[in-house]
Amino acid sequence: MTDSAPARGIDPRAPRFGATTTSVLLLVATFLGLVEIGGSRFSAAFWLALVIAALFLWSVLSPRTAPWGVLFRKAVRPRLAPPAELEDPRPPRFAQGVGLFVVAVGLILHLAGVPLALPIATAMAFIAAFLNAAFGFCLGCQLYLLLQRAGLVGRAAPAA
Amino acid sequence: MPFFSALIALAALIAVAVVAGVIWRARDGRRRRGSDAVDLTDLGVTVGRVALVQFSTETCARCPQVRRMLQGIASAHPGVEHVDVDLTHRPDLAARHRVLSTPTTFVISADAALVARFNGAPRRADVEAVLTELPALQEAS
Repeated sequence: MTDSAPARGIDPRAPRFGATTTSVLLLVATFLGLVEIGGSRFSAAFWLALVIAALFLWSVLSPRTAPWGVLFRKAVRPRLAPPAELEDPRPPRFAQGVGLFVVAVGLILHLAGVPLALPIATAMAFIAAFLNAAFGFCLGCQLYLLLQRAGLVGRAAPAA
Repeated sequence: MPFFSALIALAALIAVAVVAGVIWRARDGRRRRGSDAVDLTDLGVTVGRVALVQFSTETCARCPQVRRMLQGIASAHPGVEHVDVDLTHRPDLAARHRVLSTPTTFVISADAALVARFNGAPRRADVEAVLTELPALQEAS
């Protein structure tokens, strides 16, 4: 979180669009994870969760080039009215990092042989993505102050 | 897990998410009673004026829209100021005022009492209803 203030905002519908596609992928991954309980470690659910984690990582490292954002700008936004106002890109980026963490923990536990780790992780991430897509509620963003209270973020640079 | 059981589990998962969203929407931005006493240290509030103190962070998706709304109220009411407190690097302030999520808005009266607290995005009419209850403001306007 050392970024300076954003140069300009993003269309607030872009993260909603990304959350919608992400929640569909997470729902499919959860379904596969449940069907494949007791199956091979490198199952379809594992590979799909790996792809989802890679997409989260992409959105954290380079939000401008991430696939859902590009798809939104190329295919969806031209069909919509211009946005009434622009939004700060930092909250959705932070939330993508939370999603990456949850799915990555699920993948690691799954590889370590913990049963149900993968479908539970993708189900948790699904709830967060769904709340953003359907209700406009960014659960990942809301975790910031709780993580701060736990001493994990936001202690490095007290305001002058 | 059998195919059909997995489908039922998915339906339950979606139902949980919908219920969570409906509960959140019902509770979000509701007015809560203030605790009266409030430590104004580091909040940047001008004593003698009514303050709409908004707590924000850099990762708060809805803070900018609340900021615009509260600024609009402050500019429409003489004697009311809007103060934005960035908690991104101030865990001490978050702990002191028991702010667990942003946006959180305090309405602080001219005699420095916390008269109302809103967790989430408040409705403009609810904030203005609090202002009309404040005697100092009625005299000013």
